[in-house]
Amino acid sequence: MFSYSKGIFVKLKHLAPSAAILAAGALTLSACGGTSATGEEASGGDSDLQGTLTGIGASSQKAAMDAWTADFASENSGVTVNYSPDGSGAGREQFLAGNAQFAGSDAHLDDDEAKQGKEACGADGAYEFPVYISPIAVTFNVKGVDELNLSPSTIAKIFKGEISKWNDKAIKADNPDAKLPDTKITAVHRADDSGTTENFAEYLKATAEKDWVAEVSGDFPKDFGGEAAQGTDGVVQTVSDTDGAIGYADASAVGSLSKAKVKVGDEYVELSADAASKVVDASEKVKGRGEGDLAFDLARDTTESGAYPIVLVSYHVVCSSYKDQETVDMVKAWEKFVVSEEGQKSAADSAGSAPLSDDLRSQIETVIDSIKVEG
Amino acid sequence: MLTTTNNSTTTSRTLTSKQLPKATPWVVAVASIIVAIIISFIAFGGFNIPVVAVLAGLINVVAVFAISASYEGRRKATDRVATTVVTSSFILACVPLISLLWMTISKGGAAISFDLLSRTMLGMKGVLDQQYVAGEATIAGGFYHAIVGTVLITAMACIISIPIGVLTAIYLVEYAEKNRLGKAITFLVDVMTGIPSIVAGLFAFALFSTIAGFIMPDAAGIAKTGFTAAVALSVLMIPIVVRNTEEILRLVPMDLREASYALGVPKWKTIVKIVLPTSVSGILSGITIAIARVIGETAPIMVTAGFAKALNWNLFSGWMSTLPTFIYDSQLRPVSPGDAALASSERAWAAALVLVALVMLLNLLARVIAKVLAPKAGR
Repeated sequence: MFSYSKGIFVKLKHLAPSAAILAAGALTLSACGGTSATGEEASGGDSDLQGTLTGIGASSQKAAMDAWTADFASENSGVTVNYSPDGSGAGREQFLAGNAQFAGSDAHLDDDEAKQGKEACGADGAYEFPVYISPIAVTFNVKGVDELNLSPSTIAKIFKGEISKWNDKAIKADNPDAKLPDTKITAVHRADDSGTTENFAEYLKATAEKDWVAEVSGDFPKDFGGEAAQGTDGVVQTVSDTDGAIGYADASAVGSLSKAKVKVGDEYVELSADAASKVVDASEKVKGRGEGDLAFDLARDTTESGAYPIVLVSYHVVCSSYKDQETVDMVKAWEKFVVSEEGQKSAADSAGSAPLSDDLRSQIETVIDSIKVEG
Repeated sequence: MLTTTNNSTTTSRTLTSKQLPKATPWVVAVASIIVAIIISFIAFGGFNIPVVAVLAGLINVVAVFAISASYEGRRKATDRVATTVVTSSFILACVPLISLLWMTISKGGAAISFDLLSRTMLGMKGVLDQQYVAGEATIAGGFYHAIVGTVLITAMACIISIPIGVLTAIYLVEYAEKNRLGKAITFLVDVMTGIPSIVAGLFAFALFSTIAGFIMPDAAGIAKTGFTAAVALSVLMIPIVVRNTEEILRLVPMDLREASYALGVPKWKTIVKIVLPTSVSGILSGITIAIARVIGETAPIMVTAGFAKALNWNLFSGWMSTLPTFIYDSQLRPVSPGDAALASSERAWAAALVLVALVMLLNLLARVIAKVLAPKAGR
């Protein structure tokens, strides 16, 4: 009987060399492993902050967040910033439940959530401020047409299928000098639920209510027809492959395609970072909130000269007070970096966002400075 | 054999009856594919893979039947049709597998490099990807942290679930003898097998959130750790280990146990020295298959371990990435949107190749273990 079991151990010995080779391989790999993305060891920076910050929220901020965490880490190697792009709603919920130190959200807190913020963060409630402004481009591909002016009602009519040719009267009225071909218009929209669609629809609802009769939602209205494409890349791909196509997509993804100028007031505004951040400056703060709550009702229908109103604005939500000094210092350092000129430029380079204006930045910095220890 | 009333054919229904040449089915199959392609070109204006596949299959079955029936008779023809259907189904089942392997190997193989294997995503930002896509730099970033995370979390899951699973199976087979507790456990294990993986993840996360809430109420987000993920994976792994081990233990002949008892060996010693060594190859290969099953889980890891960008060797503190979550995150939310998303996609394919290779290695290992440790017959 015992010789039987001994046989097993002899057999196990046969497996030992291969196990050893595997282990050695794993060790070799770990010995050579660089710990950063570029293979260079992270330099320490001169900050002595230590700890971990956890954020949950909008996936729209993810690319900017990657850039911020990378640059923040190079100055504060003791701080790890984790961000889980679970979605805006999940971010606000988890933040209010105390599972994260900050949240990223494409929409500001609603009144109920602002009240809950007082329970989660103490008497002053939660602070929120815009950190990420991303312009949405109306992009087109029409042979022989490089520049295009569009008024909100024309855009609405194109996307609901009322205008079907590029030489339509309405488009001609916007572009008296352009030579418009007799091409069929292919209006491309997102097939999936998306924040881009929601902001685009919100803009049309605010500026061309008569034409944009659908409810504002992340899903493109089904009965408006047009071509559906999956994701931002899908829209951009379809537009660039189709002569006569027009679509809307995050400006960072549009690449070399032409972007339409949009009518604001009496002029046609070209998409640019400055123009996009201007619309936030022209917007009113949400009423009835605390001093530290920089939530904006976006003025989509602004007539401010040079403002580009089709933008997605994403917020960071933080607490007005945290339990200990360490967390307060970390949150302050982190959020200050995010809104700083350097941080905003880094996001603009990596994620194609529009930097905050100096005026807004100084407002936000005042708010961040007032974060304190609880009690 | 004499089942037909037609006398002229009955005489030929012997072993020496007319038979089509052996290569006939293959010739007919190739011909059907060619005909299907021609029809596809005429009717659909181009080569359309699904149309060709369906048409070729139908034409093949009809042609095989017609040819065989006219030459060999109806019984042979029916037999050949059955063979054709079975073979076609087998080929159909292989198509997704081969196509998946091909995609992973061709895309992952083109992207993989030692740098990707040995670097992490710490300090990764879109600008680096834009430089890579513009051809100004080599690809940055990597998934060394995800490989480490996968290995650590899976190893921890094994440490938790193998003892529990194997011991449960031993209880069920050796001690329970169909008593109530045994039946209850069997039922619960069956239920556990059907638990969706995301539910296991939420369970582990909720459990550790509650625990963390009691220990450190002020610390936000400390429930997301590699260990929480390992617990979620063990919820998925335990029922598989129990089932596999139970099956194998039941295969051990009763004679061996009885012989041992007859020599006065106590029950526990019989199990340790007789039953387990006899079935060790089966148990180990069952465990390896269970590992291969959970190593590719994405959903439970996402809710329990977060998305880490840096290397983390500590299972009990901080977020961790595994290969599946890394792939998911890279593909869905690229570091740089737009054209440079290509770089994220390449990293994801390379990681997918590593993951598939890992799973295949584990399956291979299971085979080797089963072969090497199997008790020799007639001993």
